[in-house]
Amino acid sequence: MTTRKPAAPVSHAAAGLAAFFMLACGQAALAGSPISERAPADPTGHVEISNTAGSVEVSGWARNEVEVTGTLGDGVERLEFSRSGKLTRVKVILPNRSSRVESTQLVVKVPAASSLFVNTVSADVRAQGVRGSQRLQTISGDIGAQAAAEDVECKTVSGNVEVKGSGQRSMLTVTTVSGDAKVSHVAGEVNGNTVSGSFTITAGETSRSRLRSTSGDIGLAGKLDADARIDFESISGDVRLDLLGPVAAEFDVSSFNGEIRNCFGPKAVRTSEYAPGTELRFREGAGTARVRIKTLNGGIAICNK
Amino acid sequence: MTTERKDFTTRLDDALDRLPNGIEPERDLWPSIESRLEPREGQVARRWFWPAAAAALLVVGSSLLTATLLRHDEPLVARPAPAETPVSYAAAAFGPGQALDPAYDAARRDLARTLSARIDRLPPDARRKLEKNLAELHRASAEINAALELSPGDPLLEELLLSTYQEELAVLASVHQLTGVNGAGEKSDTTRMKL
Repeated sequence: MTTRKPAAPVSHAAAGLAAFFMLACGQAALAGSPISERAPADPTGHVEISNTAGSVEVSGWARNEVEVTGTLGDGVERLEFSRSGKLTRVKVILPNRSSRVESTQLVVKVPAASSLFVNTVSADVRAQGVRGSQRLQTISGDIGAQAAAEDVECKTVSGNVEVKGSGQRSMLTVTTVSGDAKVSHVAGEVNGNTVSGSFTITAGETSRSRLRSTSGDIGLAGKLDADARIDFESISGDVRLDLLGPVAAEFDVSSFNGEIRNCFGPKAVRTSEYAPGTELRFREGAGTARVRIKTLNGGIAICNK
Repeated sequence: MTTERKDFTTRLDDALDRLPNGIEPERDLWPSIESRLEPREGQVARRWFWPAAAAALLVVGSSLLTATLLRHDEPLVARPAPAETPVSYAAAAFGPGQALDPAYDAARRDLARTLSARIDRLPPDARRKLEKNLAELHRASAEINAALELSPGDPLLEELLLSTYQEELAVLASVHQLTGVNGAGEKSDTTRMKL
């Protein structure tokens, strides 16, 4: 196991003078210590990375090694870089008691077929070129990921999530509380939950999708597989479906108090003479796919292009 | 409003006031009505719905709680201090006149209490957003409950209410997991990290 500690502390006076000098020179001073670590790794191993504040950038490469570079923030206790069998761990460890810890920037290269787990507090997470499964989670940082053929799971409280696929089929799961989620060029299954964030899926070929929002909007623009299953639910957020190509699906759409608008098929009807609900049930084409949308107050729009 | 119309309105109000508040039937008609009624499928199903829903929620809640509590990865730093303020918690209801399973309510309350310490130590901005969103979920469930008062037994409302409670549990479980794995809630003061 390798442990890297930040630079040795200097006296307050010297540190103050150095800080003053750097500011006076108008230079963008980089705080912290540079990181440079490298170790052999299993080509299909598992890499776990955790950081608190700052950023984590992960990219897949063709070497059977894990490389860690970047900057270790001042006040950080140490960087743990260890390997045990197929597991490589990169972990920023904070001291038990400290009044100030600077953010740490981690740049990590992993064998492309590795599976990846990244966990941060406020650090942003970026992952690209990783072909194994990915589990990326942060409390308030943003997440950016590229999805390949393996499962990807992104989870955040207030950060935003953006996932770009390569058109390969996989399962993507996104959970946010208030963060927005954007998913593009992802084929296969997309599941998402958000309270107030918006959720949009574009340019994909969806086979399964279950999205749920309380007040955020939900949108899907893309093709449906012949046997697709779409299940969207929102309380007060709007739901919009822009379907590309010929549509062959059964629609089961209802809203208690929201407007239903559709560019094809019959018009929505009132569910009761005395209650405000409306529903829209019809079959388009062969009707092999299933689309189910439910809202309380949110409006629903369905169109095809 | 013209004087003539005003007079008419007054007379109408007076006439309405003179009407009796209720009319007692000459005999109890209900037994004969009841004997002619056949139980409808929906009514039978409805009787099962809320107990089943409450049971399902209890299972989901307990599972989430257990799963997140058992997920005990090593924290980076010290254990959190006890919470100063409890997490926002609102009693749940299943529409008008539907008592919530006490076991489910207790599990939900326990989960919220367990999370208070961790939520207290979230980055301030994330904590504010989380609390705002938990309030949003409570507002949503209250709104659906209010709608159920007007449209009792509406299957769409019941479904949305059920999934709103599930969503709340899922959010709490997610926060529990996110703050537990890397010790996110472990900092002892807000100046410790530049978040």
